[in-house]
Amino acid sequence: MTALKKRLMFALLYDGGSFMLSRNFRLQRVGDIEWLERNYNFRETALSIDELVILNVERERGSMDGFLAHVKRLNDDCFVPITAGGGVRSVDDARVLLRSGADKVAINTALWSDPPLVAELASEFGRQCLVASVDVRSTAAGHRAVVANGTEELPMPAAEWLSRVAEMPIGEIFLTSVDRDGTGQGFDEAVLGLVPHDLPVPLIIAGGAGKAEHFVAPLVRGDVGAACTAHLFNFVGQSLATSRAHLRASGVDLVEWNPDLLRGLAGSV
Amino acid sequence: MSDVYWCTNCLNMSTRPRISFDARGWCNACQWVEEKQTLDWGARQRELEALLARHKRTDGRFDCATTVSGGKDGSYVSYNVQHRHGMNPLAITVTPALALELGNRNLRNFIESGYNHLQVNADPTVMRILNREGFLLTGFPYFGWLMAMQAAPIRTAINLGIGLIFYGEDGEVEYGGSTALKNRAIYDIDFMRRIYLEGGQDTVLKSSGIPLEKLYFFMFPTEEELAGRQLEIAHWSYFESWDPYRNYLVAKEHCGLEEAEASNSGTFTNFAQNDQALYALHTYVMYLKFGFGRATQDVGIEIRRGAMSREQGVNLVRLYDGHYPEEYLELYLDYYGMDRAEFDAALDRWANADLFEKRNGRWVPTFEVR
Amino acid sequence: MTVPVVIVDYGMGNLFSVASALRYLGADPSISSDPEVVARAPHTILPGVGSFRLAMERLRAGALDDAMRSAIAAGGRLLGICLGMQLLGASSTEDGASDGLGFVPNVVSRFDDSDGLKVPHVGFNEVAVTERTGLFADLPEPAHFYFVHSYRMEEGSLSFPRATCDYGGRFLAAFDAGQVGGTQFHPEKSQSDGLTVLRNFLRA
Repeated sequence: MTALKKRLMFALLYDGGSFMLSRNFRLQRVGDIEWLERNYNFRETALSIDELVILNVERERGSMDGFLAHVKRLNDDCFVPITAGGGVRSVDDARVLLRSGADKVAINTALWSDPPLVAELASEFGRQCLVASVDVRSTAAGHRAVVANGTEELPMPAAEWLSRVAEMPIGEIFLTSVDRDGTGQGFDEAVLGLVPHDLPVPLIIAGGAGKAEHFVAPLVRGDVGAACTAHLFNFVGQSLATSRAHLRASGVDLVEWNPDLLRGLAGSV
Repeated sequence: MSDVYWCTNCLNMSTRPRISFDARGWCNACQWVEEKQTLDWGARQRELEALLARHKRTDGRFDCATTVSGGKDGSYVSYNVQHRHGMNPLAITVTPALALELGNRNLRNFIESGYNHLQVNADPTVMRILNREGFLLTGFPYFGWLMAMQAAPIRTAINLGIGLIFYGEDGEVEYGGSTALKNRAIYDIDFMRRIYLEGGQDTVLKSSGIPLEKLYFFMFPTEEELAGRQLEIAHWSYFESWDPYRNYLVAKEHCGLEEAEASNSGTFTNFAQNDQALYALHTYVMYLKFGFGRATQDVGIEIRRGAMSREQGVNLVRLYDGHYPEEYLELYLDYYGMDRAEFDAALDRWANADLFEKRNGRWVPTFEVR
Repeated sequence: MTVPVVIVDYGMGNLFSVASALRYLGADPSISSDPEVVARAPHTILPGVGSFRLAMERLRAGALDDAMRSAIAAGGRLLGICLGMQLLGASSTEDGASDGLGFVPNVVSRFDDSDGLKVPHVGFNEVAVTERTGLFADLPEPAHFYFVHSYRMEEGSLSFPRATCDYGGRFLAAFDAGQVGGTQFHPEKSQSDGLTVLRNFLRA
């Protein structure tokens, strides 16, 4: 029995200055950083989540500068762990993310296209810094993993890919259901069945959350450590805070933070 | 003002025409979602099969018609009729005014995915006059198109010897309003005239002064024209539980449906109503008349399908509802032949003084959604 | 008068976030890889993420290990965070055996995953505090902090104020040895509880 808490995570999808909503990996522009600050106010909202994920989902790889600037800005006064990723193809890509305020780096396509990179990243930064992101969708031939923003399907059953990834020098697995992504239909517990039974690293599930209730089922499971939503519309305003309260009331073991304590610490030295 | 209230489940407003609420404060659309869970859909499917069997042809002629715009709903119905039920449908589109490029592309994608299709272009100059009159007299900025959308497919079906037409959903039952068709599969022209056109046809026609011979596609067939012809008009939503989001997913997968790049005017969705620029004006006038707009409607759909909580919905309605369609303004002024002052005066006519007050030239709600 | 703090930059660690947290608290953080600056600093933070062996090599190569010893000798205070705390110990078994800075005699070893324990230890976990003084003043009961690590400092036989965490057995989550302290967790990522620890470090 551990006192390790479950984690409620929020993901931001960045594309060339805008933050996006993803539906089955199709993107809709929602708003820029100002929109985000107006409707999420992360200085406050950060208290309602346990981790923030910021992904660069640009379909055409441009310069990382804009993305890095946004990672830095979101890190300001926001005291939650940050995982950043999207298009990480080199040790330098990872290094620059970590120096911009990210605590962990997410890698997806590189797990498939450049396995030696994974070992390099682990050796340079430590495997606990690496979040292996796996996107899965169902096909006529069963579940398959996809890479490159869902455009390329891997040639083996998804369960096999997940087993392979579990053996790589990574810290966590971030598992997204493409079929449920952005649908608000709830998390896809079927994809959880694809994960190796004795997974040695923590598991984060994503894809499908629309409201608080959706998080309960996955988070009360022993094999799931965290659940993540990227639904930028549904959780505006106070919604993350009320969702967190709802989850705690439903028996999900999340830490409860007191916003007054945080405010009281400002300039207290 | 204190008389205005909201559905306790979704955010449908008490001002919505023909809407009703139960003791819990649930509107009829939400009650219907509950009923749909225990409804005997098997029986309704058998009704559908019997209906289709009555009309099915194997001689190559069309045996039914569907109404499509290229959007998710018509595409969904057409897909089911043709691929799941093996019928030979003719998909019919009535071209709207101010068609959007994405809408045109979606229509083309739909057709290219494998459908027989007829596009009816009711005389756009006539439609423009009717739209304008409709905007000024009934608050429906695309009244002319609505008339043609109801009438032209029927005329076309009759002319081609098709005895069955499917429209998508009965918006009254599904989104809040009259429950007359909840348990009725087939309806008639009179119902369409009364409810969907809200009896505004005569007013608009009279004011427009357009002669009968120019109105072929805008007018329902007469009793004489219908005599001896079988015509059954049905809503798909009677036979199968209507789910706009499911329709979107199927249309995306099988009919090439594409979404807009960003949210549509006055809402947070990007995958619905992408065919015509006047829809944004229609929902804005609706907002002024009744206090709810496109975001409220979309929120209702999301809440009812379990994707969002009411509280989350309130946030989104407050954020997006009632957006003045600034981005289309030039287009509208040019289309209606109005200047800004006339246009705003036309809008003023519809603003409900119990719900809105004018501040800095814009109508601002005096109520707060809760 | 703002409190100046030097964050040691030896190429490893999330300096940005630590600096951000210190600024929020009203301190005046600076980031430096210059041993002379570090040696003079009244408050020093040693962050760290990654390999123990590599970190020690870099600290030695940059003469930062001696710089920190000088700073302590001159009466300064030092806080090691995450790997930084581990480096303050005697040794670690990561990548074979490596010597640490030796400020405390404790050793660092890997979590035992033979029973199916998921490693790394990631997330917010509860810590038990022996006494609410020094670094641990004003912490709520229980206190929660963010952990992300595969190696941890063994409890040993320390007698000064410390915090322990139970994950596959008890390990040292933080200690306050007067001038030298360490937190295995990330105080800059642990909301109000974490900032309280940082504030305590700066106030002494």
